[in-house]
Amino acid sequence: MAIDATDIALSLLKIAIVLGVMLQVTPIMAWVERRGSALIQDRPGPNRVGPFGLIQSFADALKFIFKEDIIPAGAHKWLYTLAPAMGLIPALTTIAVVPWGRPFRIPETIEYNGLVATVGWATAGFLLLLAFVVGAATGRLSHKPGVSRLNIVIGWLVTGSLAGLAFAIGGILIYLRSRYIVEVPAAGGRLFEPIVADVDIGILLIFALASLGVYGIVSAGWASNNKYSLFGGIRASAQMISYELSLTLAAISALLVAGSLRLSDVVWGQTGYFVLFDTIKLPAWNIVSPAMWISFIVFSVSAFAETNRLPFDFAEAEAELVAGYHTEYSSMKFALFFMAEYMSMFTMSCVVTTLFLGGWDVPYYNEPPTFIGFFFSALAFLAKAGFLMFVFVWVRWTIPRLKYDILMRVGWKVFLPLALVNIVLVALFIAKGWI
Amino acid sequence: MIEFAVFFFFAAVAVIFALVVVLHRNPVVGALSLVASFFALAVMYVLLDAPFLAALQVIVYAGAIMVLFLFVIMLLNLQYQREEPTRPIQQFLGYFGSAAFGVSLVYYISKYAVIASGPKTRFVTSAKTIGIRLFEAYILPFEMVSILLLAAIVGALVLTSKAAGKQVTE
Amino acid sequence: MIPTAWFLILSAMLFAIGVCGVLTRKNGITIFMSIELMVNAVNLTFLAYAREFHQLHGLIFVLFIMAIAAAEAAVGLAIFINLFHHRETIDVDEANLMHW
Repeated sequence: MAIDATDIALSLLKIAIVLGVMLQVTPIMAWVERRGSALIQDRPGPNRVGPFGLIQSFADALKFIFKEDIIPAGAHKWLYTLAPAMGLIPALTTIAVVPWGRPFRIPETIEYNGLVATVGWATAGFLLLLAFVVGAATGRLSHKPGVSRLNIVIGWLVTGSLAGLAFAIGGILIYLRSRYIVEVPAAGGRLFEPIVADVDIGILLIFALASLGVYGIVSAGWASNNKYSLFGGIRASAQMISYELSLTLAAISALLVAGSLRLSDVVWGQTGYFVLFDTIKLPAWNIVSPAMWISFIVFSVSAFAETNRLPFDFAEAEAELVAGYHTEYSSMKFALFFMAEYMSMFTMSCVVTTLFLGGWDVPYYNEPPTFIGFFFSALAFLAKAGFLMFVFVWVRWTIPRLKYDILMRVGWKVFLPLALVNIVLVALFIAKGWI
Repeated sequence: MIEFAVFFFFAAVAVIFALVVVLHRNPVVGALSLVASFFALAVMYVLLDAPFLAALQVIVYAGAIMVLFLFVIMLLNLQYQREEPTRPIQQFLGYFGSAAFGVSLVYYISKYAVIASGPKTRFVTSAKTIGIRLFEAYILPFEMVSILLLAAIVGALVLTSKAAGKQVTE
Repeated sequence: MIPTAWFLILSAMLFAIGVCGVLTRKNGITIFMSIELMVNAVNLTFLAYAREFHQLHGLIFVLFIMAIAAAEAAVGLAIFINLFHHRETIDVDEANLMHW
């Protein structure tokens, strides 16, 4: 199958979209984490910088850029600088094999209808006006102690300019109200598969890159020349490689049902319906079938352990090890670790949705192979992954941290046998034809 | 065309990092370079139409065995071990002998290798074919390897337990 | 399609580098890493021939070699830890008594 320039262009577009989404995960999750934790702990959370504290993440990014970059004396300079990159690379690349939408056929021609544009512009304008009114009503434009006027002005300027840009684009669309037909050059008629790399061994790449994530932590812990960092690094990596086993075995149950290692096959297998007692129609997601409940729980808990989130955050362990493996890291290097953690959280949520929650399948809706079908499927995928991200935050601020030896014991003696038992259970269900 | 560029780049990466493993005095740097070398070898496996084994190479070698190496090095603080220089004759013989061995091997392969070009068609392997072969023709080695792994686990536990063997406190 | 001989040459070079590591270094961990390098060079040779003759046996063999190398690494490192506890050094020249 020859690859021509259009295939390369489409691949670059997919990479740009996926990379764009991954880079936005950290600022959005930082806000969700801080407001979510504030909600759970019954306090306001950041609400000064911009309406509802939405600009807080950008203020944090500016702070990271301007902080002094320290390399401690006695640290191994090369490894100290490389460790955040080694942590970030697996987090960024794993998302390449996850399917995030329904494959659709790019239409040969696109018909442009002026009426649709007018209605769309009016709706957008109304929503923006509503957002401004709500923001003005809940935000405070008057000067008060502790909040500089500059902060408030910057917040409103940013939101105001975004709103103005949206209005301008809408106005141009309205201006071009005539109806005409655009031909899609070169890519028309091709199948657009919204997955960056649909390889035969999809899930194995996720495991491979997840096991490479250990090196960032171990190198950071060792290269910092600090015994607390070393302890944090070693404990975290021992935990990560222990839970990789239960992660892999729990994922095998989902792969047994699909019969293939490709993640797009796993999702296509979940697009049908289970019919119970000839009346109730349930979407054929893996989580609906009782054989997969154990592996769903094992996989989710192992995902928490792989991403070093509470209740498994021995890498950071804020109350015990100062800050664990990233004690000696400041400014941009710390920001890279921070980003790597949120990105790997997002990737794990995406993998859980793909394996167990039906991926991009919208329940009870037969997505047509057009752009509208793709759009709704991508929205469904984001909604499921987003909900799981909120569960990550929710669990972090609800459950206390386990003792380390209990954690390792649970990983080897409880989750590993459970995952194995579940494989046998799923095989039994498949043999009997219940799945 | 792209294949050749990828091959040369990753072959160079593999050889250079292998040299770093062998020549650098700090074993931590050596272990991490070996990880990079294994990763480059995994790319070679993909070029050899074995993507399943490439993923396994990263999972098993780069992701588990080298982590074990790094644990041992870091927990025993082995990066501060000074290596006294070996007797110069031995050192010279070691370098010269291995270099001669390598050069002559490469020379004779390039001169006398009957297989000068690649296969005519693509060799299609998948996890399914490997799995079927593993459970049908190779079932006995498969079971024996699992017993071997069990023996290795028990052996490692016994060797490092405090009850067996004498410790430094003696 | 890349000629098989190129893979064999790469494998030979890696093998020779591994041999150099085993013969020249005194740090036990480095010697062990050179042995792993040699094993990987052999893996590459197996896969090159497997692709050439369209045989699946090469791949299965490489699979077994990886499993055995993992077991060997675990036991070998356990032995090294024992050596370190007895001699406080990982230098293989110091492991020169038959019984301690």
